Amino acid sequence: MSRNAYLIAGLSLAAVVAGAFSVNAQLVARKDLSLPMAMTIAQTAIQTCKSQGYNVSAHVLGRNGEILVSMRGDETAPHTLENSFKKAYTSRAQRIPSGKFAENVKGNPNAGALHLSNMVPAQGALPIMVGEDVIGAIGISGAPGGDKDEACAKTGIDKVAADLK
Amino acid sequence: MSPIVHRIAGLSLATALACGMAASAGAQLLTHKDLSLATATAIAQGAIDACKAQGYNVSAHVVGREGQVVVALRNERAGLATYENSMKKAYTARTLRMPSGQFAENIKGNTTAGQLYLTNITPAQGALPIMVGNDTIGAIGISGAPGGDKDEACAKAGIDKVAAQLK
Repeated sequence: MSRNAYLIAGLSLAAVVAGAFSVNAQLVARKDLSLPMAMTIAQTAIQTCKSQGYNVSAHVLGRNGEILVSMRGDETAPHTLENSFKKAYTSRAQRIPSGKFAENVKGNPNAGALHLSNMVPAQGALPIMVGEDVIGAIGISGAPGGDKDEACAKTGIDKVAADLK
Repeated sequence: MSPIVHRIAGLSLATALACGMAASAGAQLLTHKDLSLATATAIAQGAIDACKAQGYNVSAHVVGREGQVVVALRNERAGLATYENSMKKAYTARTLRMPSGQFAENIKGNTTAGQLYLTNITPAQGALPIMVGNDTIGAIGISGAPGGDKDEACAKAGIDKVAAQLK
């Protein structure tokens, strides 16, 4: 191209970029979990399981899958901490209970999501929602059955339900 | 090897095993105290509260006897690196059995200190070992206050809170 052509191309690009991005741009407003709320969720879930005789580990993750609370339950097997994290991460990323994800990929070992880091097809985690917005997840591991893990996770979320708005 | 060599090797092995048994005759399991999740949570929460009361938002890690994470708390108002840093400080205090600030002082000016090349060891103040008598059963690490000395003071407040249980 000639120098003039370059100049015109450059100007056009600048105009497009400026037009596309700046006109209606505004910041995104989001609700996020605070540490105290995340702790309440995790501790309630652990407590519920404990009252049923199950020692469990728990993770509460935030919007980006980052760990807010990580708790290793007394007398739990070593893998439960990792497993509770992966369940929670799966639930957050898929925006569904990790048990639902497990159901969805059942019999399909080639499901793409299974090949991502930290995805696990195991029940025991629930997304934490504000309306339709997934702001995090709680994962539990250690009870004898993912359904029991999930039930404990649910009591954790239920405890702060009134504040999830 | 010839059959005879094999046999000699076998006998030597048998002798070695017999000696091993001798060593095991007086063997007994170790008994020690460890942190419960409740105690660890109280320590972490106590430290975070202490810092908060002074206007500092900090993240905390409490690690157990093997350096394993027992409680990890990310303060959503603290810097991004504070979560990792509190873990590394705690690990350092646990494994070296001293305040991480003491370690930092010990290796000051010595950039090739061997420990600095180990995973998760950091020369930064803000973590204290959790002791039962002379036994280090874990550590707490704090990060986020403006200065390692302030992190450490909060860590101490967390341990002090459960001092009566640490026996």
